[in-house]
Amino acid sequence: MKKLLLFTMMVAIFIPAMLFAEAKYEVIDVKNGGSIKGKIKASAPIKDPVTEINKDQNYCGNSQASRTYILSSDLGVKNVLVAVEDIEKGKAAPKTDLILDNKKCEFEPLVGVAYVGQKYIIKNSDPIFHNTSLGVMLGEGKRRTVYNLALPNKDQAIEKPVRIAGMQSVKCDAHAWMRAYVYASKSPYAVVTDDKGNFEIKDIPPGKYKVKIWHEGFGEITKEVEVKSGQAAELDHTFSKK
Amino acid sequence: MVESRFKMKSGVPGAGFVLLFLLALSLVVAPKAYTADEGKALYESRCILCHGAKGDGNGHVSILPKTEKFGKIWKLNPRDFTVGAFKWRTTPSGCLPLDADLAKIVENGISRTYMPSNADLSRDEINGLVQYIKTFSPRWVEEKGDTGGVCTPIVINKPAFVGSPESVAKGAEVWKKMKCAECHGDQGKGDGPKSESLKDDSGHPIMAFDFTSCAGKGGVSPERTYAAYTTGIDGTGMPSYADSLNEDDRWNLVSYTLKLMHKL
Repeated sequence: MKKLLLFTMMVAIFIPAMLFAEAKYEVIDVKNGGSIKGKIKASAPIKDPVTEINKDQNYCGNSQASRTYILSSDLGVKNVLVAVEDIEKGKAAPKTDLILDNKKCEFEPLVGVAYVGQKYIIKNSDPIFHNTSLGVMLGEGKRRTVYNLALPNKDQAIEKPVRIAGMQSVKCDAHAWMRAYVYASKSPYAVVTDDKGNFEIKDIPPGKYKVKIWHEGFGEITKEVEVKSGQAAELDHTFSKK
Repeated sequence: MVESRFKMKSGVPGAGFVLLFLLALSLVVAPKAYTADEGKALYESRCILCHGAKGDGNGHVSILPKTEKFGKIWKLNPRDFTVGAFKWRTTPSGCLPLDADLAKIVENGISRTYMPSNADLSRDEINGLVQYIKTFSPRWVEEKGDTGGVCTPIVINKPAFVGSPESVAKGAEVWKKMKCAECHGDQGKGDGPKSESLKDDSGHPIMAFDFTSCAGKGGVSPERTYAAYTTGIDGTGMPSYADSLNEDDRWNLVSYTLKLMHKL
């Protein structure tokens, strides 16, 4: 009976660990990796909306480009997040911090990748009050605070560890039009498309993966991609405005 | 060791293992389950009407309209426990609250809202309720253990100078430098230029705190006020000033705002 009890206790300790363990990421040496590359396009030209400014106009001006739809001449879309979502093993994430700047009454960058374990460096380059609120996007319009920090003065910078993984929205409560998006990743396999809509994710261990393609205006789609050793898997996508 | 014991039991038929598994599961839940179970019963009799069976704030009385100054009408929504963000904590911005933080709110209620006091409950009963409330968000399981000391509770030691005329004067400077008036207005009435467009994280319009109302939802003691400046109020536009102000200046700001609240 004692043995049974001991065994039960051991099981009792291990089961919750198995049930509730957060998705772990294991760093391995990737020698035979492949890559995913491609181009994200829009099905038709689309006009970037103009944001009306109704606070601090003396400094911010009366309007600014929203930067939602930045398209190249061949309809490539900038600022699309492409992330391998279900990857459990791979290279270590780079030791790069994400600088998030409040600059000319907008956030720079609009879409960025941060790496769990590294830092956010949150700056205010403006001579006006800003606050920077990061929150996990939970769906159904719900949001959970990650950090909400006051940056009342010019050239102030606050460093905070990136500890919560996932898609986060960034806002400034003082200026409702300001927004940005941060994808906090445990792996290095998350990138943002360039001016031409191109991206490349390298050194991925061979296997089948789910890849998230997210854009602020077009929305989100997940595609399955098979990565083969020494090869580049093509992943193109064309978004149409709903 | 575990393995050898496992082998000794290998004669037990499959059904035995299922039973063992269930027994193990019951043991896992057992130490906390008693209080959380008790908490559930209490939750169902006291909290469910507003906070809902799923803890998402969508009970039968989920939206309570309220009107205050400046002709602004807004709604008070009961806390959505599934989000896992809490306003009044003694932990830094974005962190889970301590059990004691939640217990305080269950016990005292929240002034200027419909959240009543539950001071008639015993400590154990309140703890049971808190344990049950913690089951609505996966955060408590996912974020076990503080990584890198980010969520170390803040220290609240009120210095003797709080409330002195010198501290009030210093606090008035801090108020200016930190641009508190942007939201709270020059007189602290909550009517600053940014106040009209403030929204909470669910997109609902909210008010900047009117210090002259003398009734802060999270409490107006010097300690509570200091905590708000240090931790911010998660889910709202109130940011943390822990990185912008040193402790003394946060206490000086407390002195100045105590004056705005007519507490001096």
